[in-house]
Amino acid sequence: MGLHMLTFIIRRLFITIPMLIIISFLVYLGLELTPGDAVSHMIDPEVANTVSPEQLQAIRESLGLDKSFMHRYLVWLTNILQGNFGHSLSGGVAITTIVLDRLPATLELSIFALVFSTLIGCLLGTISALRRGSTTDSTLTVVGMLGVSIPEFFFGLVAILIFALNLGWLPAGGRLLPGYDSLMDRLPHIILPGLVLSLMMTAGVMRYARSAMLDSLSREFIRTARSKGLPEWRINLVHGFRVAITPVVVLIGFRLPTLIGGSVIIEQVFQWPGIGSEFIGAVRGADYPLVMMIALLSVFAVLLASLIVDVLTALIDPRVRLG
Amino acid sequence: MSNTALDRKFDRIRALEEAGKLKPASGSRAIRKMMSNRLAMVGVVIFMTILLASIFAPLLTSHDPLKVDLRSMLQTPSSEHIFGTDRTGRDVFARVLYGGRVSILVGLGSALIAALVGVGIGCYTGYKGGWIDMIALRVSEIFMSFPQIILVLLLVSIAGQSLANLIIIFVLTGWGGMYRLSRARMLSLREEEYVQALQSFGVPTLKICYKHILPNALGPIMVNVTLTTAMFILAEAGLSFLGLGVPLHIPTWGNILNVAQDLRVLQHNWWLWLPVGSVISLFVLSVNFIGDGLRDSADPTIQG
Repeated sequence: MGLHMLTFIIRRLFITIPMLIIISFLVYLGLELTPGDAVSHMIDPEVANTVSPEQLQAIRESLGLDKSFMHRYLVWLTNILQGNFGHSLSGGVAITTIVLDRLPATLELSIFALVFSTLIGCLLGTISALRRGSTTDSTLTVVGMLGVSIPEFFFGLVAILIFALNLGWLPAGGRLLPGYDSLMDRLPHIILPGLVLSLMMTAGVMRYARSAMLDSLSREFIRTARSKGLPEWRINLVHGFRVAITPVVVLIGFRLPTLIGGSVIIEQVFQWPGIGSEFIGAVRGADYPLVMMIALLSVFAVLLASLIVDVLTALIDPRVRLG
Repeated sequence: MSNTALDRKFDRIRALEEAGKLKPASGSRAIRKMMSNRLAMVGVVIFMTILLASIFAPLLTSHDPLKVDLRSMLQTPSSEHIFGTDRTGRDVFARVLYGGRVSILVGLGSALIAALVGVGIGCYTGYKGGWIDMIALRVSEIFMSFPQIILVLLLVSIAGQSLANLIIIFVLTGWGGMYRLSRARMLSLREEEYVQALQSFGVPTLKICYKHILPNALGPIMVNVTLTTAMFILAEAGLSFLGLGVPLHIPTWGNILNVAQDLRVLQHNWWLWLPVGSVISLFVLSVNFIGDGLRDSADPTIQG
């Protein structure tokens, strides 16, 4: 990590930060376009008739709502930068509290799915590449295609029906019951949503791992290894796989945003109390500040992930130009 | 394919040729390649079957997908009701057929409009370059920084639920990919010699762009349209399943599945959700097979 890397990171930040500012502006604009403002949401509709327009105006002025649009945007942005994300419309809970409350569940599910899909995807992709053109290879290709074609929630429903309702092996939903939070209490809850989410993502990893492995196996150093008389398994697994793994590692970084989005519906199907189901609840309840803030945070996560991936790629692969 | 296998294939072809059994190839090479791809052909058959069944729904079923019949609630599949009836006695088979019309319209329609918008912008700005290209690139980056489903739900919450809104929202979230693709193709194609020749003849920019360069970039764009269609059909199903897509009174594949959120329905009334879920999966699978076939047939480096 030299000076080049540092300038590279700074250069990337120069692109990323203005982008975040523009997106935050658009999100705030969207928030302004939605019906009602903070005051109309604060006041109970039944009481609203008894409040005079002058009183409403006074409240608006005390909150700074009479100021210009740009002024309000800057106040809003400053608050966010200080960690104050505003308040949810339902119950007036601080959004920061909600996010911190829900984030662990989403992270738990995502990391589970990330690890599993990577392991299974790499394994199947490598098998597919080593037996290129065989029945195993074409079967795996078709199965992978099936994996990206079945709606994830439908797959989830079938899994619930079989393993939770009919066989009764695993709970149909939820994360943990109050008072039961040991690992053994948690594990059964995460297996179904975690596996469904991983299997949906495995297809992509598999495809990528297969082509990376094929690419790696066609290189010169594989011929060198073979000419040295090394056993075939050693050539494939030690020499071939080690080079193929690099692009796959990068792929994992790219999957982070997909994961954030992908877990939204799965969380809802399995009643998983994460950010995703909170987001859907907010969209249904027209809780605009919460909707906007979760969207903004997801963009932040995506941009951060892509920045990290770029830096990692540059670190791993010396051929990447830092210009 | 290894070299020996390829050699054997050519030997077989030569033997056929010498025996006079081989007619000279006719038609487009890409189409021939597509026809010989078994999975792609299976895809075309499934795709056409479901598409035609939806279009000609009135010929296949005499039931009205919207007609409530409280005397025949929750009936199991029978010869009268092939997929049974739902909680208000509506015929599920008719709902799947008529629902297919809307779901396919949303999926295919949004993908085609997104392609039109994305390719239209990408071709021109990619060819012109300069500040206009810079702006288009930054705008697409903004759209693509959102995880797809989050952006869709965000826009749904602002714009409200309706069929037209959903198509517009899908176009807004889907044009970026098409734009990126066509711009990238454009950046390399505009350096070709025939483009310089056209420029020196004084052919108008728009004509060079859309008439002379665009056809050479169509292969990857078509592949992308199929993949985007698959993505939008899945997205519509997911959103409507959550009750946030097409308004519930319009039958779509996702709206039919909506009832399966209830665990009792899931366990006891399989005919309400299993057939339609399978139809969605089959349809998307067929689109993906076609997309894969197109990818191979558009790529001259792959032997067919």
